[in-house]
Amino acid sequence: MTTQELIDLLGLKALSTFEHREVNGVFLSDMLSDVMAGAKSGNIWITVQTHKNIVPAANLVDVSAIIITNGKNVPAETIELASKHDIAILWTESQTFDLVGRLYSLGLATK
Amino acid sequence: MAECVHEWKMTNRQFGFVVYERCSCCQVVRAYYSPQDTWDDYMEEGHHWSIVENAQTFRFDLECVECGVYVDLSDLLGLMYCTSCMEDCEVEIQRKKYEAERTFVLVGFGYLPESMSKPISEGKLQILSEYFNQRRDTSRSRIKIIPNSLIPAISRCRGEFIHDVGMLSLEPPGERKPLF
Repeated sequence: MTTQELIDLLGLKALSTFEHREVNGVFLSDMLSDVMAGAKSGNIWITVQTHKNIVPAANLVDVSAIIITNGKNVPAETIELASKHDIAILWTESQTFDLVGRLYSLGLATK
Repeated sequence: MAECVHEWKMTNRQFGFVVYERCSCCQVVRAYYSPQDTWDDYMEEGHHWSIVENAQTFRFDLECVECGVYVDLSDLLGLMYCTSCMEDCEVEIQRKKYEAERTFVLVGFGYLPESMSKPISEGKLQILSEYFNQRRDTSRSRIKIIPNSLIPAISRCRGEFIHDVGMLSLEPPGERKPLF
């Protein structure tokens, strides 16, 4: 599955500009240290954190996209930094639990 | 015997806190890892330390899964990304150079203030870069970790550490103040 397919299937909104890529699993955490320790290359990272520090953390471990849930407002500086580093920031009004359920039903899980 | 092409794994992970303190007399900043969240002011050897910021973080070591060689990273405070605050800073110069090659530059900090004169060794930072590159699709981009001693004036640095700030607070996080 690709980030483009994920956007189409889940009705996600792309906030940053990026190249689409393969998605191979899901990592769920609101802590940057968790992501740095455990997320794998190609995972999508689901969080409610919107501070610009999520971008270098995502970049460090090469996640395929960050999905911001619960309709959280994402600052312009976060989107700008993500676009600069080719990091996908996707956005949804869905609650994290609901989104995770839909991802699971699509066959994506922790990798 | 052929030399091992190391394949690194993260080991000995310990979750804790990075504590940033400033001396109210001489204004020097120090930062270190602590397993506990610390907020008390205290006196020590002529300094009066007050907390500037605490952040949740973790520390770890690296071990080669092939040959077992072990790299102690207990002196690593954290990774900072450059915000281009000083045009003449060597970190900014290196950032521009490497980003043109699709390489993302981070600054590997040791404890402060000691690491400004005695930074984490180039060898350790090279291994740390290797570890994060082994975790990623390097056909897309790479990671390069450089020493904090390349920053000429830490007091003017506005780089940001990749740490979890304000995670234990019941208040929404505000704008992060400069540390230095």
